[in-house]
Amino acid sequence: MKKLVKILAAGILLISTGCSSNEGSSDVDPIETYGCDVINVYNWGEYIGEDVVSNFEKTYNVRVNYSMFDSNEEMYTTLLGGNAYDILVPSDYMIERLIQEDLLQPLDKSKITILDDLAEGVLNKPYDPDNTYSIPYFWGSVGILYDTTKVDPAKVEEMGWDILKDTEYAGEIFMYDSERDSFMVALKALGYSMNTEDDAEIEEAYQWLLELHQTMDPAYVTDEVNDAMINAEKSLAVVYSGAAAYIIAENPDMAYFEPLQGTNLWNDAMVIPANAKCPALAHEFINFALSYDSMMDSSLTVGYTSAVQSVVDELGSEGGDFYGNEAYTPRTGYEKDEVFTHNEVLKKKLSELWIKIKVS
Amino acid sequence: MKTFSKLVWPYMAWITVFIVAPMLLILLYAFTKEGNSVLTLQFTLNNFTRFFSDSIFPSVMARSLKIALMTTLLCILFGYPAAYCISKLNDKQQALAILLVTLPMWINMLIRTYAWRGILSYFDFDSEIKVLIGMVYNFIPFMILQIHTSLSKMDQSLIAAAEDLGANKTQTFMRVIFPLSIPGVIAGITLVFLPAVSSFFIPKLLGGGDYVLIGNLIENYFVSTGDWNFGSAISLIMAVLIIFSMFLTKRIDHQIGEEKE
Repeated sequence: MKKLVKILAAGILLISTGCSSNEGSSDVDPIETYGCDVINVYNWGEYIGEDVVSNFEKTYNVRVNYSMFDSNEEMYTTLLGGNAYDILVPSDYMIERLIQEDLLQPLDKSKITILDDLAEGVLNKPYDPDNTYSIPYFWGSVGILYDTTKVDPAKVEEMGWDILKDTEYAGEIFMYDSERDSFMVALKALGYSMNTEDDAEIEEAYQWLLELHQTMDPAYVTDEVNDAMINAEKSLAVVYSGAAAYIIAENPDMAYFEPLQGTNLWNDAMVIPANAKCPALAHEFINFALSYDSMMDSSLTVGYTSAVQSVVDELGSEGGDFYGNEAYTPRTGYEKDEVFTHNEVLKKKLSELWIKIKVS
Repeated sequence: MKTFSKLVWPYMAWITVFIVAPMLLILLYAFTKEGNSVLTLQFTLNNFTRFFSDSIFPSVMARSLKIALMTTLLCILFGYPAAYCISKLNDKQQALAILLVTLPMWINMLIRTYAWRGILSYFDFDSEIKVLIGMVYNFIPFMILQIHTSLSKMDQSLIAAAEDLGANKTQTFMRVIFPLSIPGVIAGITLVFLPAVSSFFIPKLLGGGDYVLIGNLIENYFVSTGDWNFGSAISLIMAVLIIFSMFLTKRIDHQIGEEKE
């Protein structure tokens, strides 16, 4: 027993000295410089390089409380629940909503040093016209990932979204369990805007998805689609471009296609909530996470397209890890592609219709 | 006894803050219109008419009740013999067996359910079967423990008396042992049925997205849709249903008790 106590004590000592030596690794006094030494970061799951957070902690001699969400809505509900965060990484339409509801604080652009590194295409988007509140992080599209050994590329290109209703592939389909992404597919397949408020068009999209649900027996999933498609469990999947890039890098039999009927172009950006306790340090976190080194780490790890142009150039060009990987460089400037806008009434309507589809 | 009665206060404070107050909030949300501000409170019954006017919601509720009932029955079916066998062992073996029953609970339920997802992905089962397997696996220890407690506390002289009076093994079991273990079974039913009927992560993980139970519906309205009023109304309907079913099991328990006398 005594021995055990000794070992435990030694262990505790080791851990505590380990911690204190760690704290001494940088000379910066964060309290003096930023007024605080802890920030709370709330990001998507699997959406950052493995060492970015720990490198930030070491460099700035601070602690990061890092938590993750599965959906914009989950993030929003947690935020409303009174949790204070210093950094959030929501998508375009959610940023629009947060701005409308006065939940964000304007960024101090003089403190953002990486602005010039950002790709032109990701700045000044309608959800935040002058990037007053947000700094883009990752961006991409939604498309069809397919197994080239089972599905003819010419057929995917010809049919676009409608291939999801080709009964030859019944039981061979993954879709995201998300009303937003599913209705986007249906509305685009029918030739409508994915931001439509027309009840007749929504009803038509509902029927389209209902038929798909009943005839194709699709599996509604979230991130597990990545592993499943790497293992080629099914032939077709509706996925985000970054997920596709990651899957294709692991399984070269897979290919990604953005249907010509149009798709969703999305942006995920870093914002600082109005009630952030440590905004000065949060600005530094943005600079750090979007620095070349961090972004290389993150983009390589998760497969999403970085907002930092030099990273995309490096990874997407010859010799880069995503060279020839069509999903890493999503289509831009195509007239039928759209960005989601925030519409609370529409969101509720689609959410309820989506439940009905799943239950029927 | 009276000197210790003040010790109940910490617990009273606890349930007031974490159970009673949230329940009152749910009640308030369920009967009010949208908009979460206290100043614009408007009472309505719309949330409830909405629930019952669309066949989707009652059908999800029926499905939840059905799967919870099936889970409970299967837990009794598999759990009773297990508990019975354990109660026949000697003290040391019993302790070991009970330890084995509770052992899986040392690992988080969520992680074990993820493991089941991996296992079940090799089989081509129906979503419902997968969810049922997950539920029975997760909740059966509660049933075994409850039944085992009532079986092992049983007065052994009653069994000896039954045998003395000429009852064979089957008769002893049917007329003495089983009736005396009913309180354990009832307690087990409560502990299995309640979590099963409101479970949301087991169907979410094992049902493959399109297997929606009432728990998933409530989660969806709170987290994804952001309609806390309707979500609260569903929770309230569920709560009433659960209270009613508990009342029913209590009644059955009483009736059996009276018959015995």
